[in-house]
Amino acid sequence: MNWRHGQDRLWLAAFWGAGLLILLILGSILSCLLIKGGPALSLDFLTTGPKGTPLGISGGILPCLKGTISLMAIALTAAAFPGIVTAVYLVEFGEHSRLKNIINLTVQCMAGIPSIVTGLFGYALFVVYSGFGISLLAGGLSLGIMVFPVIVVTARDALLGVNPLYRLTGLSLGVSRRYLLVRVILPQALPGILSGLLLAAGYAAGATAPIMVTAAAISAGSSGNLFTPVMALPYHLYILFSQHISLENAYGTALVLVLLLLLLNTTALWLRRIKEKGA
Amino acid sequence: MIRKNRPLREPFGVFCLVIAVGATLTLLAVVLFMLRESLPVWQAYGLSAIIAGTDWSPLTDPPRIGLAPMICSTLWVALGALVLSVPLGFCGAIFLAEFAPAGLAAILRPVLHILTGIPSVVYGFLGAAVLVKFFEVTFDLASGESLFCASLVLTVMVLPYIVVTGEAALRAVPPEYRQAALALGVSKQYMTIKVLLPLAKKGLLGAFILAFGRATGETMAVLMLAGNTLILPSSWFSRGEPLSALIALELGTASAGSTHYQALFAAGLVLLVFVLSINLLLHFSGNHTGVRRREG
Repeated sequence: MNWRHGQDRLWLAAFWGAGLLILLILGSILSCLLIKGGPALSLDFLTTGPKGTPLGISGGILPCLKGTISLMAIALTAAAFPGIVTAVYLVEFGEHSRLKNIINLTVQCMAGIPSIVTGLFGYALFVVYSGFGISLLAGGLSLGIMVFPVIVVTARDALLGVNPLYRLTGLSLGVSRRYLLVRVILPQALPGILSGLLLAAGYAAGATAPIMVTAAAISAGSSGNLFTPVMALPYHLYILFSQHISLENAYGTALVLVLLLLLLNTTALWLRRIKEKGA
Repeated sequence: MIRKNRPLREPFGVFCLVIAVGATLTLLAVVLFMLRESLPVWQAYGLSAIIAGTDWSPLTDPPRIGLAPMICSTLWVALGALVLSVPLGFCGAIFLAEFAPAGLAAILRPVLHILTGIPSVVYGFLGAAVLVKFFEVTFDLASGESLFCASLVLTVMVLPYIVVTGEAALRAVPPEYRQAALALGVSKQYMTIKVLLPLAKKGLLGAFILAFGRATGETMAVLMLAGNTLILPSSWFSRGEPLSALIALELGTASAGSTHYQALFAAGLVLLVFVLSINLLLHFSGNHTGVRRREG
């Protein structure tokens, strides 16, 4: 009996220990970023370009911020429409066909492709064959391929979450599927779909490996030209640290990147909450 | 019942179908591109020479492109991360699903969510700036980078996935089992280990495979932590260069169409085939869980 009690206590300790250890690790990561990155953060840091030789030893990160936002915008522009339409097909028109299963499986597999392989594909297709060179456009399109499965899955779940009574009512009134979809179902699923787009944007903003081979440059003007290389936050962070340029600015860049992603992700969560309350 | 009125007669349905199929073909295109770009080296060197070869010097004449050191490094790093993260992650999942007080769970869950959103380059940076420094100072090493370091950081990166998926698997066990076990007077710990874990086995296996896939394909963290040395790693604590890091580091300097370029695509193909087979495994094991649960 005693042995059993001892064992129970041991397991309880292991479960609590694991829970607390996880909390501790997570807490220390976030606080480390805040404490070390906080001092570097200022309005100047956000609104000036990197300065000094080697570049980035002082100054701010404005071009990187702009570059990351343009990459994000291109990726979303490229992937949002096909992603949402694919989700609509899966939910509204797929019936129980084999094709639907194949598309579902493919999307799941795509979500698992390592980002560096997506980058390799983007390099071959956009940089070499299409002749875009290392450029904003090539990077944005590669990121678009990367976030496509995220958009499909979140949009699919949002559409599946719409109350089936709306569909039944609409169909029994003799409304066409297209009208039903555009006027009833899509507005209902909109918060969920938007939340998915924001998650995808965050995923694109943080991805480093694909843009490292298709778009990023150590230094570039923020001209907004689609066919020139750009600076981007994650790659800037990598360069600042790996070339031993400035540890302080690296912490600042990391903090800005994490705050940007936190903003996107919490907005996404918030949108989803609104929808749950409404339903 | 709604689905039976042949939607594909509507032009809009056909339009959706075309876009869906077109978009889905990109996956096929990724695989095909990897194959096409790397085909010349597979033909020239043969499968076994590339997979098992230990020399990587694609710029010498004749070029040698053995991928064995990188494949070994990838496996060391990923398996090492799993050895560390699976026990911790499963215990954490059990804690969240069964033992955590509501208040603590309400803190832990959003924090886990935040952590999945942090990009890998930030993890790599923190690992390199804090962890590697720590190893260098504590053990008085010239350089603290090692496969072990990369594994440690990957552990933290895949933990949230394991905990979240594991918790979902445990929660999917029907409550009747809990009630029956507790009614028999066993302790909650005993019930968790002897009743819940076997029932949630498939779901937990899914979490394990998902984490393995993530760890294998991860690039930035291992690039910054594994040490980037092109030798066959002899232990967990030696330096190495996983496949993903090799591609990220060398693609920029390989001119299109050269043997070097083709060899990097061969590395990409190896990585892709590896990860895709893990994903298919996950898919089919996931199917079985679904069937079993519906029966139960």
